[in-house]
Amino acid sequence: MTEVSLVKMPSLEGKRLSFALAEDRVAHYPEFRDFFVRTFDLDRKGLAEPGFVRAPSGIIYAFIFIGRSGIPFPSGLEIYAVVDALEPIDVDVLDRDLWSILRWMIGGVGAPWTVEDFDRTGRLYRVPAAPSG
Amino acid sequence: MTIQSESALPAALRDRWPHAPRYANVNGWRMHYVDEGKGDPVVLLHGNPTWGFLYRDMIAPLVSSGRRVIVPDMIGFGLSEKPTREQAHCLDGHTANLTALMRQLDLKRITLVCHDWGGPIGLSFAMSNPARVHALTIMSTWAWPMPPAEFHTRIFPWRMMHAPLIGPYLLGNHRALAGRGVYLSVIGRERFARTAQAAYEAVLPDPATRLLTWVWPRWIPLDENARAFERFKWLEQELSSSELPTLIIWGREDEIFDAATFASRFKQLLPHAEGPHLVTGRHFLQEDSAPEIARLIGSFLDRLDVNGGKQ
Repeated sequence: MTEVSLVKMPSLEGKRLSFALAEDRVAHYPEFRDFFVRTFDLDRKGLAEPGFVRAPSGIIYAFIFIGRSGIPFPSGLEIYAVVDALEPIDVDVLDRDLWSILRWMIGGVGAPWTVEDFDRTGRLYRVPAAPSG
Repeated sequence: MTIQSESALPAALRDRWPHAPRYANVNGWRMHYVDEGKGDPVVLLHGNPTWGFLYRDMIAPLVSSGRRVIVPDMIGFGLSEKPTREQAHCLDGHTANLTALMRQLDLKRITLVCHDWGGPIGLSFAMSNPARVHALTIMSTWAWPMPPAEFHTRIFPWRMMHAPLIGPYLLGNHRALAGRGVYLSVIGRERFARTAQAAYEAVLPDPATRLLTWVWPRWIPLDENARAFERFKWLEQELSSSELPTLIIWGREDEIFDAATFASRFKQLLPHAEGPHLVTGRHFLQEDSAPEIARLIGSFLDRLDVNGGKQ
């Protein structure tokens, strides 16, 4: 499995939400907020439920959106890995999944943002998960 | 919030930073600073993602030239407190932090040495507290509202690097700016990697401590709706009527704030300024030319003293 895909809310029995990444300012570039609103139907769902995606490792990630007074919703976003409650995570797997999720996000945000520029930026800063050029 | 102490520095680097740590409470935050020597104060201001260590080779020569040298670490960097919420940071707040320190120390006849974000912050302090300020030194920074450079409008690598979620991932999880970012913006990269890079990385050991490395880029105005647009507009206006003695020093190889654009624009804003003096250096010119920069500042201040503070 190499793609990131939307999935329904999984059973959370025996699971925990393991913090992965947070963004306080998802509309710093408004097209990013628009992407999440569009992808997770947030104008209709609001804060009712998280969004979920399955990453290339097979792990499901929860997207928990944050509201802030005076700022269009969502103002922020937290990403959590849904993992076995008492088991540690594999940080290398988590990092590769986050890379894939961000790449999927950039592809969804669209021009002028491109996955090619994302990959180049990752290579410039030597992110292990970035594909070699 | 998190705070590092000087013990956070690798043992091999502590000899290169022998200064007694001092702390002030500014707007409720714990600010670390260095205070060495006696005489008129010279305040050395760093930017993103550095700290006072950037000036390590300028402190002793400036003290030897008869000056009191004060080097604060911006809240969020160095050995100062590091808020863990993005909303804790704003340009005016950082200027107010500097103002609080300057007033607590009751400094007068200050020479402000401004680099990177130390520029907008230090110059805003100078323009709002002119009675305390004696002179300015300006290096690799900007003070006007529209995009500083074409570089800052480009998606690769600048806007991509701090884009939503990517900033926390790349600059937070992967330390892109505090590590490789500084390395790419010096001339003597091998020497930098061997003797200095660890000092910048050590004080930002965890993703949460690196918050300001992706928050500051988001404060650079790219259009007139930007949060800091009005402040920069005010700053440019104030500077254009400032008569403070000013010295402009720039890195000859600076690709981010290139001398032809930025040093020249400061010279237009402050036509009485001395310079620009071009020295070997990219954006972090202090890493390549600290002794020469210290000499330029010392000799500039000596001439001001001889001329009764007039340029």
